[in-house]
Parts: sequence; structure tokens; C-alpha cells
Amino acid sequence: MDPQALIDTSYVAPLPAPLWFIQFFKVLGFVLHMMLMNLWYAGVPVAAGLWLSGHPQGRRLTARLIAQMPLIIAFGVNFGIVPLLFIQVAFGKFFYPATVLMAWTWFSVFVLLTFAYYGTYLFAHGLKKHGENLPARYLAAGWISAVIFLVLGFVFANAMSLMSNVAAWPVLLQDHSVHGAALGTALNTGDPTLWPRWLMLFGLALTTFSVWIVADAAWFARNESADYRRWSLRFAWKMHTVGMIVFAAMGSLYVFGTWPEEVRDRMLHGPMIAHTLFTGAIPGVVWLLLAWKARSASSAASLPSRGWASTVVLAQVAVLAVNAVSRQMVQNIELHRFSVPLWKETAAQWSPMALFLAVFVMGVAVIAWMIAQVVRAEKAAN
Amino acid sequence: MHYPWWYVPYLTSPMLIAAVSVLHVLVSHYAVGGGLFLAFETAYAYKRNDTEYLSYLKRHAKFFVLLTVVLGAITGVGIWWTIGLASPLATEVLIQTFVFGWATEWVFFVIELTAAFIFLYYWGRLPPRVHIRIGWLYAAAAWISLVLITGITAFMLNPGRWLERPDFWTGFLNPQFLPQTIARTGGALLLSSLYVYLHAAIVIKDSRLQRQIEQRSTRPALLGAVMIAAGGLAWYSMLPESAVRALSAAAALNVLMGLLFAATVIVFAALFFGPFLNPGWLRSPGFAGCLLAFGFIAFSTGEFIREAVRKPYIVYNVVFGNGIFPKETTRLRNGGYLQGGTWTSQYVKVNYPQVIVDGRIDDSRLRALDHDSKVDLGAVIFQYHCNDCHAPAVGYSAVGPLIQGWSSQMLADLVDHLHVKRFTMPPWCGSEAERDLLVAYLQSIAPPAPRGMRLNGDSTR
Repeated sequence: MDPQALIDTSYVAPLPAPLWFIQFFKVLGFVLHMMLMNLWYAGVPVAAGLWLSGHPQGRRLTARLIAQMPLIIAFGVNFGIVPLLFIQVAFGKFFYPATVLMAWTWFSVFVLLTFAYYGTYLFAHGLKKHGENLPARYLAAGWISAVIFLVLGFVFANAMSLMSNVAAWPVLLQDHSVHGAALGTALNTGDPTLWPRWLMLFGLALTTFSVWIVADAAWFARNESADYRRWSLRFAWKMHTVGMIVFAAMGSLYVFGTWPEEVRDRMLHGPMIAHTLFTGAIPGVVWLLLAWKARSASSAASLPSRGWASTVVLAQVAVLAVNAVSRQMVQNIELHRFSVPLWKETAAQWSPMALFLAVFVMGVAVIAWMIAQVVRAEKAAN
Repeated sequence: MHYPWWYVPYLTSPMLIAAVSVLHVLVSHYAVGGGLFLAFETAYAYKRNDTEYLSYLKRHAKFFVLLTVVLGAITGVGIWWTIGLASPLATEVLIQTFVFGWATEWVFFVIELTAAFIFLYYWGRLPPRVHIRIGWLYAAAAWISLVLITGITAFMLNPGRWLERPDFWTGFLNPQFLPQTIARTGGALLLSSLYVYLHAAIVIKDSRLQRQIEQRSTRPALLGAVMIAAGGLAWYSMLPESAVRALSAAAALNVLMGLLFAATVIVFAALFFGPFLNPGWLRSPGFAGCLLAFGFIAFSTGEFIREAVRKPYIVYNVVFGNGIFPKETTRLRNGGYLQGGTWTSQYVKVNYPQVIVDGRIDDSRLRALDHDSKVDLGAVIFQYHCNDCHAPAVGYSAVGPLIQGWSSQMLADLVDHLHVKRFTMPPWCGSEAERDLLVAYLQSIAPPAPRGMRLNGDSTR
């Protein structure tokens, strides 16, 4: 079976917006999604583990973070809609076959997510109601959610890697089909990029989660003891270190061990090599910021300030943004290596696009107004 | 054909869309109507300084957020997930056409989420004026989301002049848009009242408060009932002729229409005689639960009918349910279905290289295949051409029992005149040789005619 012949070219539609516009919103949505998704992806397992450890400050951290988690999940899932919408506009020719081949697993995503989401609510409810005497069933709900989130990460890594692993489509169809129709039971586990990619993103998620811990300590944990805030800073730094090591190890394996030749040629030569190196090195900036503060916190008892925490958060957003841009570049190279037309020339839908942009600006303003009301209420309460 | 077909044993993959959609509408309409209820009633309670009512509304808001923000939001994403798997071509067309409709709806969805959480978690911590405004912001954003999504789903039933002028606005402002928006808004008002009745019946013990809630919730419910009736009639009048005929031609739809009508009448009557004339009835969670159950039956049946009347299309006149564009029919009949399909042609090339001549599937070589190979290739055609509506031998609308005892000539005649014999089926899109392959497969799964039936007075078959 000729893999390239499985990319459908009998229906090719014009793009409804310039490609740069679609890719800009795809990357923007992905960054927004990653910021929050990383928090539950790494956060729920770490929080559940901290509770089991019995460490008093660790348990305090668990209670704080799990209480925030329902909100984080709600917005994180919502932000994930954007990249999934625009990926279908630009790369539907790859997205649909890949997800159909693994249809049951892909279909299970929203079912599993529902369980994980309610499980997190239960965990949060148990912590709020019972505190230190948390019954085992609530902790079990937390662990089940944690495992589901890790599985969901694996499923996403499968789908996104299978999109570009067109060479595997014929084999997967042959092995997982009945009379030529997909059974939807395939997985992209034979792809060498899958495992490092999944684990690399988990490493990145650990770094984002550690940044959130210090942001929470600086911004929202004013009522917590100085000991707790100091401990959380040191814990965040250690966790960031672990995340960095996983990210660096798996990232190196992914880049040097599994990238196809076309991608290596483009990303590791010429002007792009600087960008690739920058993507690999930029998490180090956040690590340095954390290391500097963690050391001073232990010696001079200084606590994370709001200004410093904001700087760290912005640096981590930059890490995620640079990562998302690189990811998009690699995806463009991977998917454009096939000599098939993916789109007709752009037939931009200007008025719906203008409506969307106007609503987007209006939406940001409305949300800013609502948040301002909350800030005002918090100030009044204090 | 353009994409790999997902075979779901017994059920067929499009039935998963129906299952997820029904679950979603039962929650999403409440997300809209419940938002209006909370905004309106919170403003009322603040104005009257009715602390008891405010306290109940806070409890209701908690239940509302827990249900709509989690299950409502995720099943909404779930529909999108499922249509991409079961009907990728139609999803591709819809996304290319309405990407900015969806993107705009997403912005309102973010506003909804933000407003819902602030409305609940800052209850009593915001000045009443601000709290009410946030409630209304939620309600407005949720209703606009409904309007935007309705434009797209209504398009699937009747795209109107979009075929001549394929642009966003022509597609969005289709003939079904207004009727469905009215009916769905009414549905949201009605369904949310039914949720409120049950919730109040379970959590409220004070009879004065319960009576107040029942009386106040009945007005939007009755308004919703009127809007459903008006929108439903307009929906019917704007249906394409094939959809109107499908309602009377399909036995299953006859039964479902009867069920829909009966459940709707029961809900309307129970509303009138119950909460409107005798509010005390709703003190029983059993009565309130039955009312909500009948509401669920009416909604689920209505959604199923809405999906079913589009047959043979998934998007009326644009994409057939089996993932073929109507304009492709002639090409496939002339050039062969197996050859024309991106995935089927590759399947044949790998598994039956002996039928390939000059890189194309040759009809005469298909005819020369042994019986088992013919049955296998017939099954491939069945999967891609027919499985969107029919399970093979056993399951949802299984084709085996429908053709038991048919001769090969009868089957060939059926396949040749598929859309003539039943206008809810798509036209046959293959060559004559491929028709024979399909017939061989159909014969292999059809049981023999039942024995013991007297058909002419003395003989049995």
C-alpha cells in the first residue's frame, strides 16, 4: 500500500483564511491550552503523591492546588478547542485518517475526561470537607483522575504523532480492520517519536506546574505561613529540576534519535539551528530564576514577591510559546513533505473573520471587566 | 471513501453521534435556560430582598455549574469528536464553511465559563448590582452560543441557497435557522423549569418557598412550550420535501413522531394542571421526576428525528451519509467505487493485486475472482457504502433480516435502483461488476426466508 496515496486529494477546499492566520490562532490556542493543561497533567499526580507522603506542607500544597483544579480544567479544556479547530482546517487530510485509525481510543478521550474531571471535583470536595482526615475514597478519586490524565496525554501524543506518521497508516489499517474498514483499535506505538514526545511533554508539564506553585505562593497564599511559602518555593525548584532533566533527556532523544531526515535537515542546519537550540535552552532561564530565589529563601528567609513570581510566569509562558512555535514548524515540515495538494488557494471569509476578531476583542474586554470586579471584591474583603 | 470508515459492530458509528448528541442536548439546553432562570430570578430575589429564595438560588447555581460546566461542556466537545470519526468528510466541509462561526462561539463559551464561576463562587461577595450583571452576561453568552451552533446544525438539514452561493452567511442564515432557534430557545426555557422543579422538590422543605419557585418557574416553562410549538411548526414548514416524506414513509419515524407528540402533550398538560393550577403537586419528587423524564423523552426523540429526516444526506444535498458528494455519483458509477475511494482502492491493490491492470481496478478481473474473494470485496463495498445506516447481519437496522430469502436478481435490482426503491437511501455509486460483488456479500449474510408461513392457502415455503 502506498502511504501517500492514502492522503485524500479528490476533495481539496480553499482555506477560509490565510494560512498564517490559521496557524497563529492554532499556536495561540495551543499555548493557552498548554499553560493550564500542564497544571492538571503533572499537578494532579504530584498533588495526590504529596498527600500520600504525609508531609504537612506537602498536604497543604495538595489542598490548595486541588481546590483550584476544577477551574483550571474547565478553562484548559475550553482553550484546547482552538488548536483542535484550526488543526482540522489546515491539516484535516492527516487529522481525520489518524484519529479514525485509533477511533475507540480517540472517542474515549471525552468519556475519560468526564470521569477525571468529576474525580478531581470529588478529591477537592473531600479535601475541603475532611481536611487531614481525608477518607480513602476521595484520595482514590484523585488517583484515578491522575492516572486518567496521564493516559489522556498518551492518547494525544498518539494522535498527533500518527498524523505525521503516514507511513504507518497502511500497516495499521491492515492489522486493525475488517473488510477494509478501520476497527479503531490501532495505536501509534511503533513510532519511535511517540514515547520521547509523550515524556518530553510530561517533563515540560512538571516545569509549568512548579512555576504555578510559586505563583500561587506569591499571589494567592498570603494567608499561609511563611514556612509554607518558603517550603513551596524550594519544592517548586526541585520539581522544576526534575522536569528539566526529563525534558532535556527526552527532548534530546526526540530530536537526535527520532526526527526524520527532512526535519533534521531543516531544524538543525542554517538559521533554524539557533531557534532549535533556543527552544531546548529556554527552560533553563526559568530554572535559574527559581534556583536563585530558592537559595536565597533558604539562607535569608526572603519570600517570593508578586513581581518576581510574575516574571517567572511570563518566562514560562515564553517557554511554552517557543515550544509551540517549534512544534508548529516541525509539523509543517513533516506534513509538507508529501507532494499532494492540501488546500486550494485561500478564499478568505472576510466578514465572518472580522466578526470573530471583533467578538474576540469584545470577549477579552468583558472578561477583563469581570475579573476587575472580582479583584475589587477581594480587596474589599481584605 | 475519502477517509477510512470506522466500523462499530452492531451499532454503526453514526449511532454514536446520536447517543452523544442526545446526552448533550439534555444538558446544554438546561445550560441556556438555567442561565436565564438564574439571572432573572436572582435579580428578582435581590429586589425583594428575599434571602430564603437567594439561598435556594445559590444551591441551584452550584448544581447547575456542576452539571453544565462539566458534563454539558465535555459532551459538546464529544459531539465534535464523534462527528469527526463517524463523518469526517461532512465535518471537513462544515469546518471549512463555518470555522469562524465555531471560533466566535468559542469566545462566548469562555465568557460563559468565566461568568458561571464568578456568579457562583463570588455569591454574596459581589455587590448585588454586579452579581446580577454577571448573571445576565452568562445568560446572554449562553443564548448566543445556542444561536451560533443552531445556525450550523440547521444548515445540515436545509442549506437553502448555499449550493448556488456557497458563502458563510448564506449557509448560516438558512431556512431552518430561525425556526430551530425559536424551538431551541423554547426548549431551553421549558427544560430548565423541569430541572428546577425536580431540584426544588428534592432540596426544599419549606412549602411557601416551594410554591413560589413552582409558580415563578411555570411562566417560562409555558412560554417555552408556546415557542416549541411555534418553532416546531415553522421547522416542519421549512423542511425539504424529502424530509417531510421521510417522516411518513419510515415506520420507525412514525412511531417516534407518535412518541414525541405524546410526550410533549403529557409535559404541556402536566405543566398546566400541575404547577400552573395545582402548584402543590410538585412537592413530590416523584411527580417532578416524571415530568423531567417525559421532557427527556420528548427532547431525545425530537433530536433523533431531526437527525433521521436528513437521510440519505448527512448535510442535505451536500454530502451523503456514506461520505460521498452527490456530484461524485456519476464518476464512481463509471469509474468504479473501489477505484474511486482513496482507502478502498489501496485495500484492493494490496489484497487483490491480480485485479489491477495499468494501475486501475479492472471490472472483468473482478468478475473472474473466486466466490470468497467476491464476498470479501462485497463486504468492503458494504462497509464504505452502506454501514453508515445498516449493521451487516445483526444490529441496528441490520441489512441481513431486511433481505432474507431474496434472490440474487432481486438484490441486484435493489442495488441498481437503491434511491428509487427507497428515497432515503443514496444512489448506487459503483459499477455493474461491483454491484455483483455486493450482491454476493449480501447473500452471504441474509438468512433464508422463514419456514412454516402459509402464503397461498395450502403450501408453505
